[in-house]
Amino acid sequence: MGMSAGGGGSSLNNEINVTPMIDVLLVLLIIFMMIIPMSRKAIDTQLPDPNPQPAQPNVNPDQIVLEILPDDKYAINKEPVEKAQLFTRLKAIYDPRPEKIIFVKGDTMTVYANVIWAMDQARGAGVKVIGVAPK
Amino acid sequence: MGMSVGGGSGVKAEPNVTPMIDVMLVLLIIFMITIPQINAGFKAVPPEGQNLKPHPEEDGDQVLGIDDQGRYYLNKQPVRNEDLETLVKDIYGKERDDYIMYVKAHKDLQYLKVINALDLLSRSGVRVAALITEQTPGTESLVESDRIKPGGSQ
Repeated sequence: MGMSAGGGGSSLNNEINVTPMIDVLLVLLIIFMMIIPMSRKAIDTQLPDPNPQPAQPNVNPDQIVLEILPDDKYAINKEPVEKAQLFTRLKAIYDPRPEKIIFVKGDTMTVYANVIWAMDQARGAGVKVIGVAPK
Repeated sequence: MGMSVGGGSGVKAEPNVTPMIDVMLVLLIIFMITIPQINAGFKAVPPEGQNLKPHPEEDGDQVLGIDDQGRYYLNKQPVRNEDLETLVKDIYGKERDDYIMYVKAHKDLQYLKVINALDLLSRSGVRVAALITEQTPGTESLVESDRIKPGGSQ
């Protein structure tokens, strides 16, 4: 706190010292700039093999395919599942199952957000690997 | 607190706000410049979800954006649909540390647009597509490994 009492001046000058405020604002700015890129989140999906083997008889009979149908409808291995029941069903399937792989096949007419929602539920139910089924 | 007591005629008790205004204006300008850059320069609102994996941004990240009109953006630069495959092949055709591509797509898009893009990526050498999703406010992932603080491990 610099304080000078001079006798020669002409006026009493009362100034706010803004330096600490600038310091605080700059630190806040830096913190925000650090946090914004750190907060990115995503769902990892495995893309289909671009060169599938032509002959693959009975690939894996017990693989789980989650289908997202238009109008917010869902099906696990062709069997329709209520939206509200989806998480419970997936949990019941994946809790005892050692391989946590799911294939997600979205109908081309569905909304992207519904597909993400379904993948999100699958991850919550314990799925580790999400495969995107080819078109 | 600088304070000078003079013997002059007038007593001035007004704070000098000019430097403060200067600083505020500079901050305002900085924010106005940075925010559109952070928002990736195109209009895409990613969907919301709960059980998401943190992916802190890194230098070598490749981001494919799909805006609400279905237009493609490669690392925030608009690209023509027919050029995308060549450009992605250029990136992923050579030896890399990872074959992951981030896909930031608009939430209300028809899934056809997204699967078309994913198909194209898989043909161009991308192995993992990380679909960028925003955490629904007030939720936390049910998956334990997601809750590890970002930056601690890859």
